[in-house]
Amino acid sequence: MTLVIVAVAVVLLAIIGLIAYSRRPRQDSGVASFRRHIDALSSESRRELKDRVRPAVDDDDPDTPQEPAD
Amino acid sequence: MARDLAIDLGTANTLVYMKGRGIVLNEPSVIALNRQTGEVLATGREAWQMIGRTPGYIVAVRPLRGGAITDFEITERMIRLLLQRVGVSRFTRPKVVICVPSAITEVERRAVTDAARRAGAADAQLIEQPMAAAIGADLPIDEPVGNMVIDIGGGTSETAVISLGGIVALEAVRVGSFDIDAAIQAYVRREHGIAIGERTAEEVKVAIGSADPTHDENQAEVRGRDLMSGLPKTVILTPEEIRLAIDDVLSSITSSVVRCLSKAPPELAQDFLVRGMYLVGGGGLLRGLAQRIERETQVPVKMSTMPLEAVVMGAGHCIEHYDALKNMFMGARR
Repeated sequence: MTLVIVAVAVVLLAIIGLIAYSRRPRQDSGVASFRRHIDALSSESRRELKDRVRPAVDDDDPDTPQEPAD
Repeated sequence: MARDLAIDLGTANTLVYMKGRGIVLNEPSVIALNRQTGEVLATGREAWQMIGRTPGYIVAVRPLRGGAITDFEITERMIRLLLQRVGVSRFTRPKVVICVPSAITEVERRAVTDAARRAGAADAQLIEQPMAAAIGADLPIDEPVGNMVIDIGGGTSETAVISLGGIVALEAVRVGSFDIDAAIQAYVRREHGIAIGERTAEEVKVAIGSADPTHDENQAEVRGRDLMSGLPKTVILTPEEIRLAIDDVLSSITSSVVRCLSKAPPELAQDFLVRGMYLVGGGGLLRGLAQRIERETQVPVKMSTMPLEAVVMGAGHCIEHYDALKNMFMGARR
């Protein structure tokens, strides 16, 4: 009986330890997340967007009256 | 599976960007309703053509003013119809990123997200217009240098200093190109005694409006209703008159640009002298406005290559890189 209680306690402690470890802010998480953020804003990353939008805008009928836009 | 969307829900125009496709819709933010039954009769360009020309039972309205929702129910219906037009149905609920003015209140933000969710979006995130504009205008905002963007929309004008992917300084005023139209309407009424509609005022602005004298100036013939006799009447307006009429509105915009410049840290302020400021938004197309801002701030002003689409393109980039850029959304930073 005692053995079972000890085993359950050990397992519980291990689970709590694992949860605490996984919730601990990792030292590199801020760096990696910031790097991803900055990389996603790079000119290289935005090139695809420009290529996608330019043809759609160029195709606009020049005779269509233009309304003001925000 | 629905394709995610970015929406520039502007006071004047609404643009929709679809993930993987590009800009799929660009229409005026106008809806026409049957006043008696509440039924929607038209949206977008068709409804815009009805403004000021409807019989008593039809009302053509812009449900946004100053960048904020003035009529929640009508805005929701307009967004729902726009989403339907780009293929959103009851079974395909996309994630949506919506551009909003940075100056809107918490209540106004909630109104926008609620309207989008009720109109069929699975999730609605907000992004500040100047940040989206800077991304869409292809400014090097990923670098540690000062980038300044001036976004002059229909109802708001916003100036932001951006560096390393974040806003450093921001200044916004609820004044935009609709206020320029309103100032022209008020001037013609006061000085010439005739009433003109908002579309006529806008046409005058486009034809002869300017912020600074230009080399090719013409007069404009304007028709309206004489306030004394009630009869149709024609008057001639000059560019000088229009400049006088809109001076207060333009001063308000340039003052906010100056305030933003004064908020910028000195290390970034020196970058503006070399790199200049970028003008986006339909209001920025007013002749001579860039020169006037340049004259009053002593900083070079450049026009973005795609001023009308810059904001939705920036939001579109955020929807393309949703996970990497979700920290930029307004809710995420609170």
